[in-house]
Amino acid sequence: MKRSYVIKRVLYALFIFVVVLTLNFFIPRLGVGDPAERYYPPKGAMSDIEYEIIKQFTREQYGFDVSTFQQYIRYVQGLFRFDLGTSLRSGSPKVVELIGKRLPWTLVLSVTTLLISLVIGLSFGTLAAWKRGRWQDSVLLNASTISVALPGFFIALMMSFYLGFELELFPAYTNPNMVADFDWSKEAIMVVLNNAALPIMSMALGGIVGYSQSTRNSVIAVTNEDFVITARAKGLSETTVLYKHVLRNALLPLTTSIGMSVSGLIGGAIIIEQVFNWQGMGTLFLEANSTNDYPLMMGIMLFLSAFAILANLVTELFYVVLDPRVTVGEKR
Amino acid sequence: MPRARGITIACLVLLTGAALLQTGCQKTEYLRRTDSTNTLYVGVVESSFPVAFMPWLSRDGIAPTIASMLYSTLFSYDDETGGFLPGLARDWCYVDAQGAPIVTESGGIDYARVETEGVKVLRNPQTGKNERYLTVRIELDPHARWSDGHPVTAEDVYYTFDIARNNYLSNHAGALAWTADLLHLYSNTGQLQLQGVFTYNHGAADLGYPIAEAERDLVVYVHVRGVLGAVTSLFTTILILPHHLWEPVVSRQNQLNSRSPDAHMQHLYQNPVGSGPYVLDAAASGPSQIVLRRNELYHQTREDSSPLYTVETLRLVLYQEINVAIYAVMQGHIDMLSAGLSPNYVKLFEGRDDLFLSIAEGVFTQTLVFNVNPVASEQTPLRRLLSDARVRRAIALAIDTDMLIRLVANGAATRMSAGLIAESLTDFCNPSADILHGEHAARLEEANDLLDQVAPQRDAQGYRLLEGERVTFNVLGHPGEMELVAFLEIQLQKIGIKIRYQAKGNSPETTHLWTSRFDMTLHGVIFSLANVDIMLNAHFVALGRTSNYGRLIEPELAAAIEEMRSTLNLHRKFALLYDLQPVIAGLFYKVPLYTPQIISIARTDRYTGYEVVPGEVVFNSTNLQRIQRVESPGDAEPSADDGAVSRCEPGERQ
Amino acid sequence: MTGRNVLLQVAQRGGSFLGFVRKLWQHPKGRVGLIMAGFLVLVAVLAPVLAPYDPYDVTQRAAKGLRPSWAHPLGTTITTGQDILSMLIYGARVSLMIGIGTGIALAALGALLGVMAGYMGGLVDSLIMRIVDILLVIPTLPLIIVLTNFLGRSYFVIVLVFVLFGWTGLARVIRSLVLVLKNSNYVKAAELAGASRWHIMTKHILPGTSHLIIMNTTLTCAGIMVAEAGLSFLGLGDPTAISWGKMLAEAQSGGALLFGAWWWIIAPGLGIFLSVFAFMRIGLVMEEVFNPRMKASSSIHKLFKHLNNKYLDEVFQSMDDEAACGPPERLDEIDASQARGLP
Repeated sequence: MKRSYVIKRVLYALFIFVVVLTLNFFIPRLGVGDPAERYYPPKGAMSDIEYEIIKQFTREQYGFDVSTFQQYIRYVQGLFRFDLGTSLRSGSPKVVELIGKRLPWTLVLSVTTLLISLVIGLSFGTLAAWKRGRWQDSVLLNASTISVALPGFFIALMMSFYLGFELELFPAYTNPNMVADFDWSKEAIMVVLNNAALPIMSMALGGIVGYSQSTRNSVIAVTNEDFVITARAKGLSETTVLYKHVLRNALLPLTTSIGMSVSGLIGGAIIIEQVFNWQGMGTLFLEANSTNDYPLMMGIMLFLSAFAILANLVTELFYVVLDPRVTVGEKR
Repeated sequence: MPRARGITIACLVLLTGAALLQTGCQKTEYLRRTDSTNTLYVGVVESSFPVAFMPWLSRDGIAPTIASMLYSTLFSYDDETGGFLPGLARDWCYVDAQGAPIVTESGGIDYARVETEGVKVLRNPQTGKNERYLTVRIELDPHARWSDGHPVTAEDVYYTFDIARNNYLSNHAGALAWTADLLHLYSNTGQLQLQGVFTYNHGAADLGYPIAEAERDLVVYVHVRGVLGAVTSLFTTILILPHHLWEPVVSRQNQLNSRSPDAHMQHLYQNPVGSGPYVLDAAASGPSQIVLRRNELYHQTREDSSPLYTVETLRLVLYQEINVAIYAVMQGHIDMLSAGLSPNYVKLFEGRDDLFLSIAEGVFTQTLVFNVNPVASEQTPLRRLLSDARVRRAIALAIDTDMLIRLVANGAATRMSAGLIAESLTDFCNPSADILHGEHAARLEEANDLLDQVAPQRDAQGYRLLEGERVTFNVLGHPGEMELVAFLEIQLQKIGIKIRYQAKGNSPETTHLWTSRFDMTLHGVIFSLANVDIMLNAHFVALGRTSNYGRLIEPELAAAIEEMRSTLNLHRKFALLYDLQPVIAGLFYKVPLYTPQIISIARTDRYTGYEVVPGEVVFNSTNLQRIQRVESPGDAEPSADDGAVSRCEPGERQ
Repeated sequence: MTGRNVLLQVAQRGGSFLGFVRKLWQHPKGRVGLIMAGFLVLVAVLAPVLAPYDPYDVTQRAAKGLRPSWAHPLGTTITTGQDILSMLIYGARVSLMIGIGTGIALAALGALLGVMAGYMGGLVDSLIMRIVDILLVIPTLPLIIVLTNFLGRSYFVIVLVFVLFGWTGLARVIRSLVLVLKNSNYVKAAELAGASRWHIMTKHILPGTSHLIIMNTTLTCAGIMVAEAGLSFLGLGDPTAISWGKMLAEAQSGGALLFGAWWWIIAPGLGIFLSVFAFMRIGLVMEEVFNPRMKASSSIHKLFKHLNNKYLDEVFQSMDDEAACGPPERLDEIDASQARGLP
């Protein structure tokens, strides 16, 4: 039963991936006219003849000289070799290499943020649920209201302004040398942490509130269940009930929201990276967008989608492993 | 057990909080502040640094600047005189059929004789037509060296020109270099159809071009089309490649411009060997930083044979946003910025004596272009109105350029004459082309008189009417130009013409320019002595879809420009340029608005002796040759604004 | 099943629109939301009257970078000297128009597809639900950026893209509700009476879902406003319009941080906060009105689930819980993709 379920989910994830990569292939080919036109370099001062040559050359370089179907085959074949194409940047770097260089820096931000918000969110959420209706709970309530209504990038801007420019506690913008000089020495790691402080803080704020809320809600839900009431009736101490019975069961539904955060781990920081000029995947994507570097853009897009599909799949399977009560595949 | 878990969680929270606070107190040490070497930290505002240093492949952003520091051209152009300054080559001349120089007694080029003795005719095997051509003799500097120690020879020049023309091997990379006027022709299958570059080893003797044994490695003869401009691009834009490195690597299977270069070529891309004043330190460079070290083998030196360039090491640091870069300069993370700044920022630097503010003469002129000749399907009554020169003249008269300079450009701009040649080129600028001067009130009156002849009716708001419709034009521009359009709107209101901003598409293909679906647009033009023969043609003669900025058809002007391009007498060419300016001005086809000045900043705490170089930001080769490292022990001493920062306890770092 | 009965009750708890607004007004928090939203709408409509200066006037060069004063209550911009208060007032137009316009369009599409999927079932259902699965898993913000690059930067495109990718959550919920309604007696009766499918869908099923749709729309409007601000902040909005997100983008690129021009950053942030807050309040109070058993303060807690699109499922669940009074029926649907937010 379980094995067939796992196989089914994996196949379904594969199906979604195929659909997504097909979409990804066709989106740049949408619209009227010659799709290769988007890949031509600016004409600048080239003469018409020279420009025609360059255009022809560009068509060949980016494989627009064969039929769309053949292009699609090539594209899929490329994926098997982890080849997402070649950027339009000078020197034509491989998209995969560009992603590889930026990915760790985004992960530094998002993984740290995830950990911090999980730790603080879980603790605070439990506290708020335990002290339901007391001031701890209403602090959470007010923080939630504000954090939903204020866009994250605005909070980030304000942090950059007050903590970075006015108080000069942290670098207001990321120091670009951070990446170039990084050598795993203690100093280099401290520099990275120092620069990451503001982006992480502004991202973690939303995460903390979110996790506190989910934790609070599921803790409260579990508290009302029979076995907790029974446990209390048995005269177990409050802390024992909390840790042994409530938390263990309350944390289970949280895997879904953690899974969601994980799938947004790479693409989720686009705006914050932009605010602090952090050299991660988000800024890479925006660079690609502003320079109309279509191969790079679509390559990142596919990478993000693939990552999200994988994260979803893992979360689903993880959930099955964790919760034996799950009845498989039932939909309302 | 449960209690322990609670403690663990609490500890984790405390630890993360403490770690964050701790890092906050340890201010990042920026290398520059403690760097006592002769290293200039330059901020570059760019989306990314180039990863390949093949000069022909990297044509945008900072890449050409870096390429020009790693490689050299044969000559450089002297913008003031129109002559050439030595580079890899030290001398050149036109020669006659026997290879004898066509020079005057004083050694200068004898233009009168170039037209008679210099021009020869050959049959172009590709077109089958006869072609006028000139032969040019180039003599290299014997001291020139590649950064790996090899001498720069005539074979390098031959190889560079040859592969630029050979699409079979260079995969069209050569088309990116300006070699179109070089009569060295290849077929698409890589067969040499017509040789146009000759050296000792490549057939110079066969054509009777003399090369003495002693200078067999130094002399190159080339055949160029019979126009004066031909040598300009060959001499000043083509960076010469080392043939001893490239020739063994480039092949039909491994083309120069390949998207999937093999390991050898990749190595050459990433570890360039050039003959320029700097060499790349590939090991220290990366995606966000490029390190250039002075080329100690560089052939040009000072008279006392000390290095021409005073700065030993250049560290280019990538910033993707201009504000981030300005912040970095003000905080002292970098020495200077290789980017032009908006005049709005000037206020930010006021009262900072640790900053050098460079306000240099600009290179491009912002012009208002009228669509005088739309394609038939895009013709409208209003555009027909624009083809009336009186209307264009009236609009030009109504624009108060002084006000634009003062208010839009915040005073950081200069006027440009309607002939579009900068006044600083005193020998070439024709004062009679400056027809848009005079008192603004009188000009407005004249403009209104002119328009009353065309469209005398006005509506209640004072706007002119054409067939009952308000005369309204859209000005195509990008969002940064909105305020300029807003100003023009106010100014043209005074002559009863309404204009509105219309957004350009984000690529040429989606922009209305492409199909001539616009009334007016804003267009930056650059006319310098070096490019004027090509650019006048592109702006006022060509009717191609891609050079579509209003499609002017003016046979007389076109003929004059053609003559200017094709004459072989430099004096005649410059005389024509002088005469053309009033004609161009009188067409009111591109009305100059202003020439923005180039604003840039540098810090003065580590280097001094900056100079404002016309047309350049503070990071330029003149300054690299002039500035001096401040020799003080207190290099790492915090500057004024850093002093107030140390409010946290210093960590274990100094 | 009792839970279903409660759902039916909710679906059939009709009442006129006016009565509904009255209920909102009677609720203290609802009143605050209504007043704020009304104020914003008024500001947007009367913008030309209220704004002290022309916000598009970029020619006031003497007034660049002024601090807040009586002449310019919120100061002026550094780059062009535009009056920030006037920009803020005009910015309400874009924010509200995009928010409400998209919310309504989204509700229409989501409801239509949800009803179709739920009522017609079979191939239509699985097709729609597969599309939902795919859309839920594609990262939305990057996809929107890609599409604005290809389709151009206008508000029409932005609304279109929001609608194209935002309908999934609502469609899912409506589908769940329709699956219940389908088996209700009055629909069965209509079917027996020979009514056409279209007739049943529009006359019997759709009205039953209207409350859910209205509530969802209000909350969606708030979400879209934040999303629009984000897009404009990234420079993907209409270049000629004034919007709060774009004001923030201009502040950042114009060096507001370097110059210390805090007024240029705070003002648009305040605008976004107020409008989102107002709509959020209304949406949450609506929920209380529909489902009186829900406690007032818990609505904000529930909102977080709304952002995950799981929220409405939980609303049902809470009603199930209350009505059934037995052991709660667990929502064991483990499709993690369900837990994805709007853009």
